[in-house]
Amino acid sequence: MPWRWLILTLLLCVACVAPAQEPKKVTLRLTSWDGDESLRVLRKSIARFEERYPHIEVRLENIDWSLYFQKILTQYAANVAPDVAMMGFQNFQSLAKRGALLPLNEFFDETPGFDINEYYKEIVDAHSFHGNVYVLPRDIAPISLIYYNKRMFDEAGIPYPDGTWTWDFKVRPELREKDFLWVVRELTKKDGGGKTTRWGYAPGWPQLLADSFALPYAGDPVDNLEAPTKILANSEKHAEAYQFAADLMNKEKWVPNNAEVVNVLQTNTRAMFTSQRVAMFQSGIWEVPNIRKVLEPGKTGFFDYDITWFPAFRDGSRRYSTGGSGYCILSSTKHPKEAWLLTQWMAGPEGMKDLAESGLAQPAIRGLSLREPWIPGPNTPEPMQYPKNRIVTDTSVPHVTFGPTADYWPEVRDLVNARLDGLWNGETTAKAALDRGVAEGQARMDAILVEQHLPPFNWWIGLALGAVVIGGMLFWVYWPERHVKATLREKQESRTAYWFISPFLIGLVVFTLGPMVLSLLMSFADWDVILPARWRGMQNYQEAFSGDPRFWVSLRVTFVYTFFAVPLGVLGSLGLALLLNQKVRGMPLYRTCYYLPSLASVVAASLIWRRLFQPEGGLVNTVIYGADGKGDFLGLATFLGRYSPTGEPVNWLGNEATALPALIIMSLWGIGGGMVILLAGLQAIPQHYYEAALLDGAGTWKKFRNVTFPLLTPSLFFVLITGVIGSFQVFTQAFVITAGGPGDSTRFFMLHLYNQAFTSLRMGYASALAWVLFVIILFFTMVQFKMSKWVYYESEVK
Amino acid sequence: MSVSTPDAAQAAAASARRAERAEAAGRWFIAVLLVVGALAMLVPFYVMLAMSFKTMSEIDRTSVWAWPVEFTWENFRLVLTNPNVSFVKFLRNSTVIAVISTAGVIVSSSLVAYAFARLKFRGRNRLFVLLLSTMMLPGIVTMIPTFVLYKYLYWIDTFMPLTVPAWFGGGAYNIFLLRQFFMGLPRELDEAALIDGASHATIFWRIVMPLSGPALATVGVFSFIYNWRDFMGPLLYLNSPEKQTLELGLRTYSALNGERWDLVMAASVLVMIPLLVIFAVGQKYFVKGIAMSGLK
Repeated sequence: MPWRWLILTLLLCVACVAPAQEPKKVTLRLTSWDGDESLRVLRKSIARFEERYPHIEVRLENIDWSLYFQKILTQYAANVAPDVAMMGFQNFQSLAKRGALLPLNEFFDETPGFDINEYYKEIVDAHSFHGNVYVLPRDIAPISLIYYNKRMFDEAGIPYPDGTWTWDFKVRPELREKDFLWVVRELTKKDGGGKTTRWGYAPGWPQLLADSFALPYAGDPVDNLEAPTKILANSEKHAEAYQFAADLMNKEKWVPNNAEVVNVLQTNTRAMFTSQRVAMFQSGIWEVPNIRKVLEPGKTGFFDYDITWFPAFRDGSRRYSTGGSGYCILSSTKHPKEAWLLTQWMAGPEGMKDLAESGLAQPAIRGLSLREPWIPGPNTPEPMQYPKNRIVTDTSVPHVTFGPTADYWPEVRDLVNARLDGLWNGETTAKAALDRGVAEGQARMDAILVEQHLPPFNWWIGLALGAVVIGGMLFWVYWPERHVKATLREKQESRTAYWFISPFLIGLVVFTLGPMVLSLLMSFADWDVILPARWRGMQNYQEAFSGDPRFWVSLRVTFVYTFFAVPLGVLGSLGLALLLNQKVRGMPLYRTCYYLPSLASVVAASLIWRRLFQPEGGLVNTVIYGADGKGDFLGLATFLGRYSPTGEPVNWLGNEATALPALIIMSLWGIGGGMVILLAGLQAIPQHYYEAALLDGAGTWKKFRNVTFPLLTPSLFFVLITGVIGSFQVFTQAFVITAGGPGDSTRFFMLHLYNQAFTSLRMGYASALAWVLFVIILFFTMVQFKMSKWVYYESEVK
Repeated sequence: MSVSTPDAAQAAAASARRAERAEAAGRWFIAVLLVVGALAMLVPFYVMLAMSFKTMSEIDRTSVWAWPVEFTWENFRLVLTNPNVSFVKFLRNSTVIAVISTAGVIVSSSLVAYAFARLKFRGRNRLFVLLLSTMMLPGIVTMIPTFVLYKYLYWIDTFMPLTVPAWFGGGAYNIFLLRQFFMGLPRELDEAALIDGASHATIFWRIVMPLSGPALATVGVFSFIYNWRDFMGPLLYLNSPEKQTLELGLRTYSALNGERWDLVMAASVLVMIPLLVIFAVGQKYFVKGIAMSGLK
């Protein structure tokens, strides 16, 4: 009997999950945002650490940069935080403020031979909060470095940059190689049609270039770095600097446009440097391991390269943004002493030695960053000599700024930056984009500053509300039957029945009703699940309807998607089902082909479609535009022309107007799911109806209209309702491919909700959003039921 | 109408032949449409497969339609031996979670469905309405509070949030499906057993369940696939790389290696294989299951 197998498998699975018994060892979890290359360096340091301290085992976990800080915070909120975490100066305050980090000062005194003054003062200060050092810095990374291709300079007859160059808003040819713009222009190569084939310069990311101009010219983006109250990033000078950067990308075309890099070429600017598509590349020193991997002396593809620093402004002023990181200890750790040993190892001379050898990171201990192996010398092996001019990393340090350091700044900054996509694509001006972004950021910042004082939340209300709900439910279920007298037999049967349905009842209360009550309560609170909840009353709902620009946008995106995807999907499924219902040979095979896509892993499907929508080399555009880019399939190319001002194949996922349609098209791939249901419904229609219709002389259309369609309506109704409910909650595709972008064009409501809850940890606000969506879905479902007179239930006719 | 004269007969025969030809042409047309459509549906799979066997440089150079010239298994090797991300572990995790969940669904939903199908008890009708309404409850309302609940239970980053709820009711849709099925079983067997003094538990275990193989298999297959493809659940509740499932792990992998299409496609193929296997094995249950929901 199959039961034995089931139980065996079950036991096997539980056994797999049970933890193996291990000898007394302290295990520390360490998280890092480094990529594959850099992780290798970390592993080396960790291996030596474990050798030195055999009773400690370190588990290294990698979390990608874009999610890193939010993840650590969320992990702390979920009680699964690591012991030691790599941490940045811009994000640690969020954690420190919530008591999630251990202050490190006590450890300094306890450790013999440890002197915090050996570290660059700038970075220690940046990692301190209210007098306590929370993060032990391991590296500082001025983002002032320009990697340049020496061969291209030789070809153009330009002397290598010696660091004395300057920049101005226009090219100054009289200065020749002392003018940054002149060099960029000279190194750019264009083809006969004016399209750039080799760019003179590319920043690691578009905003880097803009900030490199704005920092020395326009100053700080806020009024006060430690406690900002006013955002200044849209001042005249800021707009001028940002516009200048954008023009270099879209007008002059000496710098590649970000949309081109990411969506068209589907690469990054560092790879463009190593593959010699750009002559100069600006970023921090962390790019070195990846560059060294491709550019090895003696291997093909190698060219001599070095670094210099970004030019000073024409008046000599220099200001650079910087990276930098260190390690912090989470306060939830069970092994603080061991955690400190690890922290001090990774962010001390031992760890820094490995970093310096790999060229990955400039040691935060100044002494080390002035010696070998960081500064290449006679003892440094050949591959590690590059880039040679690393002294520039030390000379940059006095000119760095760490930016605003308030804990609420990252959230506000992200709001401002979200509006800049259009600027880098040339779709809007700097002033317009910055004004918009700053308005939203400022609104949020004002709200945060006001919110710093709210009354605590009273959880007794929750219990009261829960009791009311459960009571109401019991009332509704049992009141109508209160007069019914039951016989002994019936009472026994009733009791047995309740045992049978007990899983359902428990599940109902614990996993459905209880959470719903809690969710409703939370919608009136401000809660990050770490600090105690605070009462906000209706403010969450108010904020949603009038203070959150993304609320309406995400509703609109979701509605538009539903409006198109559901009817198209249902019609498509219906058409397919009707086709398959004919007596066609090999019907099961066809059915499988059509059904398979709806079974596919959603993530895998999203990834494939992302590739298919790639502007150059993607399947969709190859069909529409032909392999040479000049075709016009079914006239679609001309129709889509309006979405591509440059005349190139449409950038589906990179263009605000086409991103959502692309996702809608993608959803049509899964119409097999609805088709199978409708097909089953079709095949359940008894033949005698058709025979009767035939006797009455009905043609194909009449048969469909009077027999097929009415009897199919229950299935259609089902498919429609589940389709609507499902499409209101679309999440995975947007999360995996577009992250809501470009701009906000694919910011589905669920995505917005998820970000609010699990990225910003605004659980109260997110609960309010959840209830709004719930009410909307409920409304539409009820409307559909009310309008369902068109659904024909055979059983009701009798 | 009588077909008396030879002319009329010939005319009738001719028009019958024309109708036949039209019908044959119609069928041909449908067949062509179906084939084209089926191919279109399969193209993304083809591209995924082809790309997983190409090297990155070939992907950049050649057309997306082309089958790889330099066929290579290297991508699969790299994906499977990546030190930071283990697809073997993902496979194990997905399997464990899906199996435990499916077992829970089968057990608890059949219990509940039996009660609704065969037993009379106070409040049955209204409780059934409650059941139906939870079928249409969007998951978002309970998502955040259950996260908070699990946080306080220290269940985050364990398999518990993904497996335990399955044992408490097993999903309204499954209960509904099984209830329909049980209601279709003849009552005589029950009644005979009752007369012999059997308890409902015995009837359930000894009579109804053995007869329910196909229905349970259907519920099992659907539940397994649903669990296997779940992304949101693992995203919320699983953290450590060792605990992630295939769906979540694939996403993690692609986030770390976004531009390496060759590797990402190879990983996608790996994730798709178990799904295809399950579908191939449980195919007939899919169709049966949908037909069984008896949407009339």
